[in-house]
Amino acid sequence: MVATYFRNRTPGDLAFSAVLAALCVLILAAVIYPVYFVVIASISDSTLVATGQVWLWPRGVNLFGYEQILKDERIWNGYLNTLLYSGVGTALNLCVTLPAAFALSRREFRPRKAIMVFFAVTMFFQGGLIPTYMLYRDIGLLDNWLVFVLPVAVNVYNLIIARAFFESSVPEELYEAAAIDGISYFGYFLKIAVPLSKAIISVIGLYYLVQHWNDFFTGLVFIRDYDKQPLQVVLRDILLSNQAFAGGAGGAGGAGTSYAQQYADQIKYGVIIVSTLPVIVLYPFLQRYFEKGVMIGAVKG
Amino acid sequence: MRLPRHWQLWAMLAPAIAFVGVFAYIPMYGIQLAFRKFTFQNGLTGGEWVGLKYFEQFFESPLFWTLMRNTVTISLATLVVGFVAPILLALIVNQVVHAGRKRFMQTATYLPHFISTVVIVGMLQVFLSPSSGLLTRLAGLAGVTDVNFLGDTSTFVPVYVISDIWQHCGWNSIIYLAALSRVDTQLYEAAKIDGASRLKLVRHVDVPALVPTMVVLLILSMGGVLSTGFEKVLLMQNTLNLPVSEVISTYVYKIGILSSQFSYSTAIGLFNTLINFVFLVVTNQIAKRVSGTSLW
Amino acid sequence: MASRTRLWCAVTLASVLALSACSGADESEGGGGNTLRILVSKHPLTGPMKDMGWVAELEKKANVKITWEEVSADWDQKKAAMLAAGDVPDLIVGTNAINSTDLATFGTLFEDLKDDLDKLPNVKALFQAKPQLQAMATQPGGEIYTVPGYKRFWPETVTHQYINKDWLKNLGLKTPTTWDELYDVLVAFKEKDANGNGDANDEIPMDWSPVGTTGFGYFQPSVLLGSLGLPIAAGGGQGYFVEDGKVGNFLVDERYRQVLEFLHKCYAAGLVSKDVMTQDYSAYQSVARGKGDVAKVGFSWGWTASDRFGAQLAGQYEATAPLLAEAGQSTPVTWTYDSYAENFPANQIAMSAATENKEAALRVIDAFYDQDLSIQVLFGEFGQNITKVSDKEYKVLPPADGKSDPSTWKWTTTIADNGPTWIRDDIEVDLPTDLQEAVVQAEPLMPALKNMDLKQDVYPGQFIQMTAEDLNTLALSNQTILNITQPKFAQWITKGGIAEQWDAYVKQVNDSGLPANVSIFQRYYDKYAAQHS
Repeated sequence: MVATYFRNRTPGDLAFSAVLAALCVLILAAVIYPVYFVVIASISDSTLVATGQVWLWPRGVNLFGYEQILKDERIWNGYLNTLLYSGVGTALNLCVTLPAAFALSRREFRPRKAIMVFFAVTMFFQGGLIPTYMLYRDIGLLDNWLVFVLPVAVNVYNLIIARAFFESSVPEELYEAAAIDGISYFGYFLKIAVPLSKAIISVIGLYYLVQHWNDFFTGLVFIRDYDKQPLQVVLRDILLSNQAFAGGAGGAGGAGTSYAQQYADQIKYGVIIVSTLPVIVLYPFLQRYFEKGVMIGAVKG
Repeated sequence: MRLPRHWQLWAMLAPAIAFVGVFAYIPMYGIQLAFRKFTFQNGLTGGEWVGLKYFEQFFESPLFWTLMRNTVTISLATLVVGFVAPILLALIVNQVVHAGRKRFMQTATYLPHFISTVVIVGMLQVFLSPSSGLLTRLAGLAGVTDVNFLGDTSTFVPVYVISDIWQHCGWNSIIYLAALSRVDTQLYEAAKIDGASRLKLVRHVDVPALVPTMVVLLILSMGGVLSTGFEKVLLMQNTLNLPVSEVISTYVYKIGILSSQFSYSTAIGLFNTLINFVFLVVTNQIAKRVSGTSLW
Repeated sequence: MASRTRLWCAVTLASVLALSACSGADESEGGGGNTLRILVSKHPLTGPMKDMGWVAELEKKANVKITWEEVSADWDQKKAAMLAAGDVPDLIVGTNAINSTDLATFGTLFEDLKDDLDKLPNVKALFQAKPQLQAMATQPGGEIYTVPGYKRFWPETVTHQYINKDWLKNLGLKTPTTWDELYDVLVAFKEKDANGNGDANDEIPMDWSPVGTTGFGYFQPSVLLGSLGLPIAAGGGQGYFVEDGKVGNFLVDERYRQVLEFLHKCYAAGLVSKDVMTQDYSAYQSVARGKGDVAKVGFSWGWTASDRFGAQLAGQYEATAPLLAEAGQSTPVTWTYDSYAENFPANQIAMSAATENKEAALRVIDAFYDQDLSIQVLFGEFGQNITKVSDKEYKVLPPADGKSDPSTWKWTTTIADNGPTWIRDDIEVDLPTDLQEAVVQAEPLMPALKNMDLKQDVYPGQFIQMTAEDLNTLALSNQTILNITQPKFAQWITKGGIAEQWDAYVKQVNDSGLPANVSIFQRYYDKYAAQHS
C-alpha cells in the first residue's frame, strides 16, 4: 500500500504538483485581478479610476453607473431580443452545422473535398457590406429580426472544427459495426455520432451562442426599428456616451458635459457586468460535458 | 431505381450549402468593385473598368511597406503566442485533480473574453499610465524605469499581444479541453501501471490527443496572417506609436469609410484576402504532408 | 431522445422559414400618407425623440406624423451601406450627418432644394439674412442638397487658456506673458509645492488635450502658433491655414518648428504631463479635477474653467491672454478662430430625392428653421429648458436636475447642436451659464482674434464645397502626410531631435503631395475671395 503510494508519487511527480500549483495561482492572479478591477471600477468615482487611484478597494462608492444603465428601459427589451436571437440562432446553427460537419467527416464521401473548398473560400472572399446590404434588402431581411439568424446559420470555422472532431473522436470501427447492422447515415448520426460528441457540441454551441450574444454590427447596420435592437446595440449606445467625450469638444461644439463625463467610466465598466452575467452563469452547465469519461461511458453504456 | 448511395449525406449538407450559397456567394459580385471606379450613379457593377489601378495605387503608396510590416508583425506575434498559450493552459487545467478547483480555474480564465475591446483598452490606459499606472510602477520596482508602455514603439506589439493572450487564452483553450475530455482513461491507467511520471503522461497521452485539433486551428489561423484586431489597434493608436500601429485595417477604415473611397478600400481588402488565402492553402498542404490532417 | 432532437430541428427550421416569409411580405417602403420617416443622428447622451416636447410642435406645424430612426453610435458604418445601396429615409437630420464628402459622391440621392426655396420661407429668409450660408449649402454644380444653420451665440474661439492664479500667488509670481516667463513659472510650479498640500511633486505644470493621429483640435498647444502670428482655425485640423490670402500648411512652417522646440524644452524639463501623448480625453479631464480643493494642473486649455477643472476648483483659475513668443516682439499675436465651425454648422438636414411625400418633408425642413422651434431644438423645450419671456426674449433655465451641468442637461434633453437651427440676430436670449462663462473667458483672447483679418487670415472652409475628385486627392495625401507628421510631433516634443531631422521631414512631407493639396485649397480660396470681395 505504502509502496504503491510512493511509486506513484515520485520526486518528479511532487515537483510537478508544486510547479502546477504555482502556475495555477499565477494564472488565476493574472486573470482575476483585472476582472476584479472591472467590478470595483463600476462602483467607484470615475475621476479616481481614470487617474489611477483605485487599485484594491472601490473608492467614492456609488451606484450611479448601474442606475443609469438599468433605468434605461431599452435595456430590458434588448435583453429579450438578444435571448430570442441567441436561442433561435444557436438552435438553427447546430441543426445546420452538425449534420453538415458529419457528412463532411465521412471519408467514403468523395465530393467532400470539393465541398470543403466551397465552404473555405467564403471565409476569405466576401462581397463586402454594400452588396450584402442590397441582398438583405431584396429578400426582405432589412429591419427583420431573422437577419440575426439566417445569414449566420453556418460559421465555416465552426463547421471545420466540428468536422475534425467527428473525424477523430468517433471511432471508425463503430461505423463499420453499425453498417453491418444496416444502419442509415441518419440513424448513425443521431444515435451514435451525436451522443458521442457532446463535448464538441457544447463547445460549438457555446461558440455560436456567444457570437450571437456579442453581435452588435448586424443590429447597427440592418435594423431600423429600435424595438428590435439586441442588447449589445443598446449597451453600445450607452457606452459611447462615454466615448463621445474624446471627440466631444469638437463634435459637441465645445460642450462642457462635465457632469455626464464624471460618471461615464462607471457606465463603461457597469455595462460589461450587465451584459456578461448571463453568459457566465451558463458556462458551468456546459462544463460537465468536458469531464473525463463522459464519452467513454456513453460508448460502453 | 435506388437513390445515389450518399443521398443522405447530401441531404445533411443541403441546408449548409444553401445558406452559404445565398449569403456568402451571392454578394461576391461586389468584389469587382476593386477593378472599377465607383460612382454612385453607375452602381457597383457599372463603373468604369480600371483594371489594377487601385492595387497599383496601394502598392505605390508611401505607406505600403509600413502597413505591411506593421500588420505582419502584429498578426504573426499574436498568431504564434496565441496558438501556443491556450494549449498550455488546457494542459495545465486538465492536470488539476480536484473537480471544483478545475471548474473554477476554467471559468475564471474564460471570463476576460467577455470584456469589450473599448474597456480592455481603457484598462490598459489606466494600468500602463506612465505617471500612475500599476504595471508601470511594478516595472519601476523591477528596475525598468522611464518606459511609456502606451507610447513606446518597441512596447506596442508586446502590450497588444500580451493583453490579447490574457483576454482570449481561456476562451481558446475550451476547444482543447473538450479534446482532452475524450482521452481514454484506460490509457492513463495503463501508463501509470508502467510507472510513467505525470509529466510523461502529459507528453505521451495528452499532447498526442490534441494534435488533430492543433493542426486544424493552426491552418485556420495561418489564414489570418494579414488580419489584425481592427478596433483594438485603432483604440490603442496614439501619435507616439503610430509608426508601428498603423495597420492595413485601420488605414482602410480611415481612407475607406471615413472618406468614401469604396473602390480603393475594396482593392486593399481583396489584396489582403489573397495573401491570407495563399497562406492558408500553403499551410494546408504542408499539414497534409506532415501530419496527414488537412482541411480538404 | 434522438428522434425528439430531429423533430425539434425540423420544427425550428420550418417555423423560422415561415416567419421569414411572412415578415418579408409585409415589408413596405415608408413614406406614404402623412407619415414621414426621419433619421436623426444624435449625441449618445441624448434621450429618445419622443421625450422631447418640441417634437409634437414640429409635427403640428408641419402637419405630419414622424417615425424617428435614431442613431447615436457608429453612424459612419451604417451610412456607408445605406447610401451606397441608395436606401435613404425621407429626411436625415444631424449636423454633418451627411457631410460634404458624402454629397460629392451620393449627392443625387438627395432632393435639390434650390427650386423649392419658395416653399421654404424660413430657409429663404435665412439665406437672405446670411448669404454665406447659401454659398455654403451650394454644391460646385449649383445644387442645394442640405441646409446649414446659424447658432449665433458661440464665442469666436472654443479654446481658452487658463493658469492657476492661486499657485501664482502662493509662489509670489506674476501671470506669464511670454514663452520665457511661462517656462519660468512652470519650473516654479514643478519644483515648489505650488498647491500647498505638502507634496512638492504632485503638481503637473502643463497639460493639453490628446492630439489625435488624424490632426489637431481644440485645447491643444497648436494655439501657441498664434504667439508667432500664425493664424489657425478650429484648433489647426490638418495644418492648412491662410495668411494674408495665401494658403499654407503649418506642419512644414518654420514657426511650427519653433513651437515644437519650445514644447520640447518644457517637456525635457519635466514641465509637461508624462501622460500627455498617451492619455485619453477622459483621463486628461479627470486629472485636472484634482483631489478635493487641491488642484493638480497649473497651466492648460479648455472650454470653460468649470468644465476643465470642475466646479470646486474653477475659482482658482484665471483665463489669460495669448503669450508672446518673446518680449517686445513686433509680430502681432493671433489665436484659433473657431466661430465658423461653431456658429455656422453645416449640412444639418437633407431630404431624399425619392420621398413620396415631398410637400410634407419640405414643411418639416422649414419648421425646423422657425424662430421658436430653432431655439427649442438648440436649448430644449419651452417650460422645461426655456422660458419664453416675449416674442423676442427668451431665458434658458438652469438644469431641472440640480446635479447636472447646463451642457449635460442640454445634450440629454434635446438634439441640441445636432439639430437644424436658425437663431435670429434680433432676439434676446439669456444664455446658459456655461456659454456665458465661455464668452467671459474668451475676453483676454479678443485682441489676438481681432488681429486676424477674417477675409485674409481665416480659411473659410466651412463655406466651400469641393468636387469629389478634389476631396479624393486631399484625403489620400493627407492620410500619408499625417502618418509622417503626427508621430514626429510626439517624438520631437518627448525626445527632441527636431534640429537634425527638420529638413528631411519637410522634404518627405512635400514629396507626399502637400504642395498639390495646398494649391487645391488655394484655388478654392481664391474663387471664394473673388466672389465675396
